[in-house]
Amino acid sequence: MTKRERKKLLLGLLFTSPWIVGIMVFTIIPSIFSLYYSFCDYSVLNKPVFIGTGNYQELVTDSVFWQSVWNTVYFAIIFLPLSTAVGILLAVLLHSVQRGRMVFRAIFFVPSLVPLVALGILWRWILNGEFGILNTFLSAVGLPAPNWMGNPDTAKLGLVISSLWGIGNSVVIYLAGLQEVPKSLYEAARVDGANPFQQFWNITVPMISPVIYFNVLMGLIGVLQVFALPYVMTDGAGGPVRSTTFYTMYLYDHAFTYLNMGYACAMAWVLFVIIFLITTITHQLTKDRIVYGSH
Amino acid sequence: MARIDQVIPRGTQKRESLFDSKLFLQILQYGGLFTASVIFLFPFLWLLSTALKDLASATSVPPTLLPPVWHWENFRLATEKIPFWTQAFNTVVLCILNVIGTTISCALVAYGFSRIEWPGRDLFFWVTVSTMMIPGAILLVPLYGMYRELGWIGTALPLWVPSFTASAYNIFLLRQFFMGIPKEVTEAAEIDGFNQFQIFFYIILPLTKPALTVVALFSFLYVWNDFMGPLIYLTDEREFTLALGLQAFQSRLGGTEINLLMAAAALVILPVMVLFLFAQRSIIEGISMTGLKS
Amino acid sequence: MRFSAFVQLPLVLFLSAFSCVPAPEQRTQDGRIIIDYWEKWQGFEKDAMGAIVDRYNASQDKVFVRYVSQSQIDRKLLLATAGGNPPDVAGFWSHTVFSYAEKGALLPLDTLMERDGLKREDYLPSVIEGCEYRGFIWGLPTTPATIALHYNKKLFREAGLDPEKPPQTLTELEEYSRILTKRDATGKITQLGFSPVDPGWWSPQWVYFFGGDLVTEDRLSLDLQSDTARSAYTWVDRFADEYGRTELRKFEAAAGQFASSDNTFISGRLAMQLQGVWMSSFIDQFNPELEWGVCPFPGTNDPTRKMTVVECDMLVIPKGASHVEEAWEFIKFVQQQKNMEDLCRGQRKFSPLVDVTEEFYATHENPNIRLFRELAESPDASGTPKISVWDQYRMELGVAFEQIWVRDVEVSEALGTLHNRIQPKLDKANASWARVEEARLAEWKNPEGINP
Repeated sequence: MTKRERKKLLLGLLFTSPWIVGIMVFTIIPSIFSLYYSFCDYSVLNKPVFIGTGNYQELVTDSVFWQSVWNTVYFAIIFLPLSTAVGILLAVLLHSVQRGRMVFRAIFFVPSLVPLVALGILWRWILNGEFGILNTFLSAVGLPAPNWMGNPDTAKLGLVISSLWGIGNSVVIYLAGLQEVPKSLYEAARVDGANPFQQFWNITVPMISPVIYFNVLMGLIGVLQVFALPYVMTDGAGGPVRSTTFYTMYLYDHAFTYLNMGYACAMAWVLFVIIFLITTITHQLTKDRIVYGSH
Repeated sequence: MARIDQVIPRGTQKRESLFDSKLFLQILQYGGLFTASVIFLFPFLWLLSTALKDLASATSVPPTLLPPVWHWENFRLATEKIPFWTQAFNTVVLCILNVIGTTISCALVAYGFSRIEWPGRDLFFWVTVSTMMIPGAILLVPLYGMYRELGWIGTALPLWVPSFTASAYNIFLLRQFFMGIPKEVTEAAEIDGFNQFQIFFYIILPLTKPALTVVALFSFLYVWNDFMGPLIYLTDEREFTLALGLQAFQSRLGGTEINLLMAAAALVILPVMVLFLFAQRSIIEGISMTGLKS
Repeated sequence: MRFSAFVQLPLVLFLSAFSCVPAPEQRTQDGRIIIDYWEKWQGFEKDAMGAIVDRYNASQDKVFVRYVSQSQIDRKLLLATAGGNPPDVAGFWSHTVFSYAEKGALLPLDTLMERDGLKREDYLPSVIEGCEYRGFIWGLPTTPATIALHYNKKLFREAGLDPEKPPQTLTELEEYSRILTKRDATGKITQLGFSPVDPGWWSPQWVYFFGGDLVTEDRLSLDLQSDTARSAYTWVDRFADEYGRTELRKFEAAAGQFASSDNTFISGRLAMQLQGVWMSSFIDQFNPELEWGVCPFPGTNDPTRKMTVVECDMLVIPKGASHVEEAWEFIKFVQQQKNMEDLCRGQRKFSPLVDVTEEFYATHENPNIRLFRELAESPDASGTPKISVWDQYRMELGVAFEQIWVRDVEVSEALGTLHNRIQPKLDKANASWARVEEARLAEWKNPEGINP
């Protein structure tokens, strides 16, 4: 290692030193404990007893576990593309106007400010099968009006709709990305006769690709751990008939209600491996398309 | 054939001119934004309306949009039922500490992950991203044990000290923005004799203010809404935060005083919204990013 | 200038955070020992206990009870107990106490009771039974509750039924429900006689209302293959078939919140509702004009049987509590007849003590309080099944009920799936217990830190 390389390494470690402490103390050490617990019969209240791969074997035969996997995958496949498209669309719209951008942006953030309890009550009303305003609207335009959260076949779709309300975060990130795209690029494109759609595909998308990549990856990690909204909207039950029992909800039940922390930890590590594989594949597939700082 | 040839260019021309017309575009843009805003504002408007109702009309079926009688006293009742101002103060202190901690530490760390090349950097970065894939619920038990050893249970320390050691999500977010700044920008500074800290402080940070604002905003919101953390680590009602205090309006058998809950929530939200509106203007709009990347 | 502000601000905040949120003190300023008491109540239930805590704090000058009552406190309690940092007193649900006791997380109170002359016989058998597990008492009652059929007298009159004669047999319940149900021209239900899912809180204990059981006598296996269990669920299935699943679901969707004037029973859209002793306070709050009565749920055709579910909130001392004697003094204070009656009256429940003053009934706001108390004395009153996997069993019982109600799954199939899921968990829990049984029982007979 040359002197220059050593200096770079030291500098890198210096800048990342808060995180080295943070990741060790608040994540890695607790994670090692939980990995050990996943091989134990651990009720939280008693000391963990090592049982080998017992929890993992039980997982494979647990029908509710598989049901929760299916629910989560179903939710992710619908929600992720939809939220990405809507998020970019809103950000581009927001970026394109001159007046009132501040106000609109603040508005997109409002749902994140409403306490979760209140959101749960509100959404149950909006999606109500008998007098909900969504169904009033759907009936008015002649569409079918399902009993959203009351019917196991539509409950997950109801959750997709309500979760879309929380995309304010990603809109704000997209917007921050859009603000860094040089205006000169668009001017040059206009001189070349590119229409707004061509400008979007050939300039905007590549220029904000690092941000899209970030949002998709975070969205993926987040959606596979979806918890809070379905939890409050179904009173923690994941009903009707387990149609909204998502992976992390089932894990949570085992950890804190059934006092099966060992089993919950095994579930967590299985989820970790699944997310890790999916993210790594996504990363490999997309890394060449992301444009960092040059064009 | 000739006739068709004549028709097509004319048609295209016409459509293009319509497309280029600023008015049409603006109607489309504002129409879209306005519709979206109504949808996004709806929960908040509903919250305000519920905050002004009496309990009976707040829970009536089917719900009414506006309160039949406006009960402004709900705001006073809500602040009397819980130690509202004490809890508001606690929340603000915690939020400020977290915003400072998160923004500073994440910016430093993200710089180390993006603008300096050192062996092992990318591997370490992937480890960082992977930590987000572990459900937080299972880390609670070991963390609790650790905080107890440190004597932090019953204090606010577990609720803000970790923010000074950065968080994976925000590191990743800032890294994406830092990587977007072309090398030439910093190379010029290096030639001028700036060291890495000076480049970080005087060049990178000012250039990425929008992203830093987003990080500050996220960490603020996280603390503002976090209810589990304070529940687990705090024991005295006078030390609670508002998100936890709001639970006092919720009852076991569904006997929630939803109108007071919403009134308290509205009191919590309104100042934050105003703050955002002004903070955004001064921080973000002051900078012109044009030409940065070329 | 800019730099100093940058350094100063966090420093000031850093210090202020320390000062405004200090570490918990073990003593008050006037030198009293502080003991922590965590509860899960809110609203008027929280306030009723708050009054008793204040009374205790005023009655002596050695101990100060710091009372925190918060929904979802269960999770804090679990982490704190596991982390060896529990409160001195905790309010428990009856459905969690057995699993905590079995895992050795609580202090058995028998030694203390014996020392200070508190007897099991002082309490209603069905209530104290719910505080007992594997031969030991794990908590002392605060407020018990029973469940009864509430009915709307006005609707009875309108339908030509005698408002003073509620259904006494299952056949009568079915018949009355039919008479009390009204539909509009499109077949939509506008008024319903009875519904097994309104409010839907009893689906796990559904079998109890039909005289069945959930676990066998020896607590080693689930008891779902019995004729009573099957017939309880078959009844639900037949009910759904008769009234129409789609129409019932629509009625359910339009139900509104429980605690509101649009509660189906309070608003007069549901003529008979299975509800707990607390219902009267919601009726008074949202529709005091309602003419209502209560009767035992007629789950069989034998009118002498009085089926109910009896549950009791209780005070426990977690193992590892730092002030056991002080905690026990407080629990004993709550058990004194006057305090107990004030607490139960405040929470609109009946007293768990055998001796009750006439004044308690005379001043109680629930006109039917005696019936709820009588239900608790009934031989058909069922409590929480004494198994440590009850929380999981309870959840799965609810799912099985939903499968039958919503999905029209065959009763035998739903119950079979349920049995196959939970029986292995129970076997596993019993095997774990067998490994520690001897040590645990010995420890519980002479609990550490208590002077007999």
